[in-house]
Amino acid sequence: MTLTNYIQAYNEAVFETDKPAALAVVNQALRDGLSPEDVVFKLVIPAVESMMERIEKDQDSNLAQHFMTAQIAADVTEKMLEKFSSPPEIIGKVVIGAASGDLHSLGKRIVSGCLKSLMVKVIDLGINVGAEQFVEAAVANDAQVIAISAMMVHTATGENGSIKVRALLKQRGLEDRIKLAVGGAPYRFDPALFRKVGADAWAPDGVTAAKVIVRLINEAKT
Amino acid sequence: MPNDSLPMPVETLHSLSVRSDTAEIRISVSEATSVRDALDLTELRVRAACGGLGSCGACLIKVLAGEFNPATLAERQKLLPGDLASGLRLACQLKARGSGALYLERPAPASQWKSFQQMPRPRPVVEIAANLQYPYGLAVDLGTTHIRLSLWHRQTGRHIGSRIGINPQVAFGADVLTRLDANRLSVQDRQRLCRTARLAVIDGVRDILSRDLGEITPILAEIGQVRVVGNSVMLALICGGDGNALYELENWRQKLVFQPDDPSAWRREWRMPHADIGIEQPLAGFVGSDLLADLLITGMTAQAEPCLLADLGTNTEIAVWDGQSVWVSSVPGGPAFEGVGMRNGLAAEAGAIYKVGKARQHWQLETISNSPVRGFCASGFIDAIALLLREKHLKPSGRFAEPRPENGFCFVSNCVHSAIFASDIDIFQRAKAATAAAMAQLLTMAGLSVADLQTLWICGSLGQHLDLDHAMGVGLLPEMAVDRIKRFSHASLAGCQELLLNPDAMAQFDQIRRLATVINLGGISEYEVLFIENLRLQPLAMRATS
Repeated sequence: MTLTNYIQAYNEAVFETDKPAALAVVNQALRDGLSPEDVVFKLVIPAVESMMERIEKDQDSNLAQHFMTAQIAADVTEKMLEKFSSPPEIIGKVVIGAASGDLHSLGKRIVSGCLKSLMVKVIDLGINVGAEQFVEAAVANDAQVIAISAMMVHTATGENGSIKVRALLKQRGLEDRIKLAVGGAPYRFDPALFRKVGADAWAPDGVTAAKVIVRLINEAKT
Repeated sequence: MPNDSLPMPVETLHSLSVRSDTAEIRISVSEATSVRDALDLTELRVRAACGGLGSCGACLIKVLAGEFNPATLAERQKLLPGDLASGLRLACQLKARGSGALYLERPAPASQWKSFQQMPRPRPVVEIAANLQYPYGLAVDLGTTHIRLSLWHRQTGRHIGSRIGINPQVAFGADVLTRLDANRLSVQDRQRLCRTARLAVIDGVRDILSRDLGEITPILAEIGQVRVVGNSVMLALICGGDGNALYELENWRQKLVFQPDDPSAWRREWRMPHADIGIEQPLAGFVGSDLLADLLITGMTAQAEPCLLADLGTNTEIAVWDGQSVWVSSVPGGPAFEGVGMRNGLAAEAGAIYKVGKARQHWQLETISNSPVRGFCASGFIDAIALLLREKHLKPSGRFAEPRPENGFCFVSNCVHSAIFASDIDIFQRAKAATAAAMAQLLTMAGLSVADLQTLWICGSLGQHLDLDHAMGVGLLPEMAVDRIKRFSHASLAGCQELLLNPDAMAQFDQIRRLATVINLGGISEYEVLFIENLRLQPLAMRATS
């Protein structure tokens, strides 16, 4: 099997949300002599990037595909990282969490899964995270991005959510160093909402959120 | 122990076509059931004001064809010989002896309330003491999408009537979290939201009284007790609470108390001056007293072997009994299970496809009341998905095998109401994944496997028409022998009725409360993994692929 075959088979399995099939491709590739580094950089990362493209264009992409893209990528990457001959270069760090008062954790799971496979270090603060906590963690970890998930209108627009994070970043002169990304259902209904809550960017779904966050990391680093 | 799955006595059913000037339906009736009772289960109801005694004469209906019972004494007293000769009858007295056709010139005004068939209630061991001053009692199951209620004479145990109707709070949000969110908008909205549910309850009671007893105000004054069960959010909202406590993580597993903001105002509004209004308190933040009522009526915690109970609805609640403890949690089943949110989603109402089959290359659809297709209710939708998978029109990922037709996948050509869209399947996948993952997680926490289960109870309306093989095939239910699965459509209301009528029930209810271990699945990483695994349309996954 050539690398192109592996890529094709792996991409197809991810697209079909077929985790056992995707893992079988990875195992076969390893048996055939691909290094763990090759699996991540030549198979997993291009597959995530390809899914980002497909999902962005495809009106029929469903939640199962979003989750499986992230879950398979994160699982494979985690397993491969243990086998890397030297630790990989991290492209940046992001602090992620659900907004204050918000108990939804699954949305950010997609984002985290994709980010991990893209070699972004993810500091997951969990759910119901206060504004100060986000900023403190970002400073302590030297993160380039704070990513806040909010699935309800009042948690997206709440005073202890993104609005306060923006105020704290401004107050502490961190706006150039730390970017703010948001995501979740309310932003889909009002594409201008992210500006109203002081965010630098938003994404309509978890997979494209990873793409947006990588862009913000690069912006913050320059 | 009541159970919809118990074999019913074999009855001869006759098919009747009933039309009015605006609707035509087909019903199946046994020889023992009056046409009025059969029509009360549909949207095409006769006018009625006496409870089916034949004394009000309001339920006039004309026989166009077919064989029926001879006119009763009540009909001969109410109708002129010429009317009887022309085929005019009283629907409450009319019973079919063969197939036939009927014409209803003046149907009852449209109502959101329908009757439903309940299992006969077993006689309690201890009867309510005689001579109650206010003998009537009302049981209410306040669901996210539906309200069910039943009125009883507590002293004699006589069942006056039961109704099911849409919870009008649906207009404020289809699921509990959206509605709770709406509840936080303003004090006025909050007041409107709680009043909406209260008014719906009295509207349903009036429907029972006006149609099944023929008098309203005097009976309202004789209602001595009202018992309400429901999920935590619905209880919070009807009580006029702000629901903020439900957002606090620490309250998720705590006992919460919701009481009417002003009980005397409720009594005034309901015209029930003597009613003792009992809100049965939820078990915890998102596990309501409706689940406790399910557990009470099924007697699950008295079983010697492990059991699982799933109350499938907008707010799905799951319980696992391991012999010592009952592990409970709730998940957002989502409005998908009640037909809300899908493009062609319907509740179980006339024209809803409730069963889909395929024979000789043709799709076979059965609709409620045999009415023209208006959409899918959940059981029909699950059949459709299972068969689309079997026929390879749909892939386990939830995507159609061929590019999506613009008008969706139509089961009847040129019938837009028979179409299923990719987005509908996505919504269903989320609902079934949340439910399946909760079952798997609770079983694992209880140290059990599916093979250990003696019984799986399916509560909620969805179970009534659910094809078990199809539900197992798409992964909504664990794979197990169908004779171990029991259905109980209106279990929460039946449990609530026990609290109203059986003096021993409250002690059992409290005992179940003590046996419960409440699990917040939101904080469990393994549950998230199981949710993702179970998004695929395939048999239920008990653990993650590694």
